Amino acid sequence: MKLLIFISWRNIWRHPARSGVLLGAIIAGMWAGILVSSLSNGLIDQRFNNLIEESMTHIQVHHPDFIVEREPEMYIPEPDKLIEFLRNQNDIRSFTARTLAGGMIQSPQTSAGVQIQGIRIDWEKATTTFHETITQGEYLDTEARNALIMGEKLADKLDMVIGNRVVLTFQTADNELMSAAFNITGLFRTTSARFDEQQVFVRSSDLSELIASKTVYHEFAMILQDADSSEAVATRINNAFPNLSAETWYQLSPELRYIADFGNSMTFYVMLVIMLALAFGILNTMLMAIFERMRELGMLMAVGMSKGRVFLMIMLESIMLTSTGAIAGMLLAYLSVEWLGNRGVDLAGVGGESMSEFGYDTVVYPIITSGDFTSIAILVVITVLVSAIYPSFKALKIKPADVVRE
Amino acid sequence: MSIIKTKGLSKTYNADTIPVHALRDVSIEFEKGEFTTVRGPSGSGKTTLLNMIGGLDDPTDGTVEIDGVRITGMKEKKLIDFRLNNIGFVFQAYNLIPVFTAYENVSFIMLLQKRSKQEMKERAEELLTAMGLKDKFNSRPKELSGGEQQRVAVARALASRPKFILADEPTANLDTESAMNLLDMMEKMNREEHVTFIFSTHDQRVIDRARRVITMVDGSIHKDERKG
Repeated sequence: MKLLIFISWRNIWRHPARSGVLLGAIIAGMWAGILVSSLSNGLIDQRFNNLIEESMTHIQVHHPDFIVEREPEMYIPEPDKLIEFLRNQNDIRSFTARTLAGGMIQSPQTSAGVQIQGIRIDWEKATTTFHETITQGEYLDTEARNALIMGEKLADKLDMVIGNRVVLTFQTADNELMSAAFNITGLFRTTSARFDEQQVFVRSSDLSELIASKTVYHEFAMILQDADSSEAVATRINNAFPNLSAETWYQLSPELRYIADFGNSMTFYVMLVIMLALAFGILNTMLMAIFERMRELGMLMAVGMSKGRVFLMIMLESIMLTSTGAIAGMLLAYLSVEWLGNRGVDLAGVGGESMSEFGYDTVVYPIITSGDFTSIAILVVITVLVSAIYPSFKALKIKPADVVRE
Repeated sequence: MSIIKTKGLSKTYNADTIPVHALRDVSIEFEKGEFTTVRGPSGSGKTTLLNMIGGLDDPTDGTVEIDGVRITGMKEKKLIDFRLNNIGFVFQAYNLIPVFTAYENVSFIMLLQKRSKQEMKERAEELLTAMGLKDKFNSRPKELSGGEQQRVAVARALASRPKFILADEPTANLDTESAMNLLDMMEKMNREEHVTFIFSTHDQRVIDRARRVITMVDGSIHKDERKG
């Protein structure tokens, strides 16, 4: 075996330029594939975290019909019982309660349809990262009466600035229309331009008083210690409160689950395509090497090298060439991802602005996991086998008597 | 005592359904220590005969025995092992491994035989020195002249301590000086170490040196002459 490894390694470098080009192709392919996958992973991870941590959370609890009908009277009955239950669940890291209403916002210049979210400032801060998106003014923990914060984009559309007043019109729990003036105290900018244009935030106490003249919540949202336990916790809540509906993040946003699932297999598919292309390159190089060395291989068989050893020698050449390229490519990709993972990749110049319309950051932080590297290693092994077996069998068909004199 | 014995050896190739008789009923014996040339025009069957003796090709009919062992019909794996330990080959185009040095080309065959490192080193150095290549141990084939490459090939053939060496047109690519030099070396090995050489050639320089000349015509032995 030592002998075969020795010969194979020397054979690889018989044509340094040819092997170098192939190695370069393998390294570049691995590097590019892993980098693209890591960017995709980073985008998906950001999208996931943005949606979950900024607003959606892992589980939401509503009146069973609220999600579809969104009627103001469909608030959660006896919220104190739910609050007590949630506080006793160890796998819930924190939770918040929200009063929700669909309505209209009016400025002196124009009006727009909005979702009004009444939030409990302290709970919301402990549960989501929404407060970190404030770019101007103050959060709702201000002294100002009927404070309201809105997205920068909506403020632009309404031609409003901090300190201006707007009028919110919405339906009460008694099916009456209610209008109230609110003072703009802050502006926010999340990663989703659409969210920024459609959501306004007020204090839950202000909104619920206007909707029902008492404290009402339409939504409880919670962040778990571990996202994977979403299903189990939701089931527990549903069992404890049959008159409510607890839904996981992937029930609330099925597309997010598809994105997450797609992200998990993204690396595999990207690398599969790249390795398939590389397999043809390796196959071509190895076949060329066999055809060029027919006489030499015939001589080896003539003087006493067994066919098994010749087969193994060709396999080893492919394995060593591909492995060297793959390891170098993976190492280069790992270092690149590490470097870019700390600094981020700014995609603003390549359509980053339109990405924010769909809830993606313009700066992406690439991510690659050990699982991704395992998938890649498996693909490399398959590639080597696929691309090396045919040339190796081709070598076995050589008849020494036919080739040594050519 | 004969070390090679062929009996009724025939080989027919079916080229486009027209049978070509490369060998016709060849029965011949070779003794240990011979320095023999098989001569004849192209297509006379001399290379085919050497291929049969070397176990590189199967006869259509007849048998080959090496030192009492019948190699005809032997299983491929066993035959390869047999060749490794009993037969040395020298080819017209040298067929050295280009990525190996002269020393590695010679010792490589002993690695296949799983000889000890010490034995391998001593034998390779001894043979390359005997071939006049003492200062070329670390030269790769492309750094050697044609004559030097062929001498490395002879050293490689001798390295496995074979019972005989089959040399197919060994001087065909060499100039006169290199050819004479090579023949001197091989003659010396034959004389001093009783190595058996069987050449296939139509090079008069080789024929002149041989002690036995077998002439083949149309796949049959036409003449078998022994000198002095």
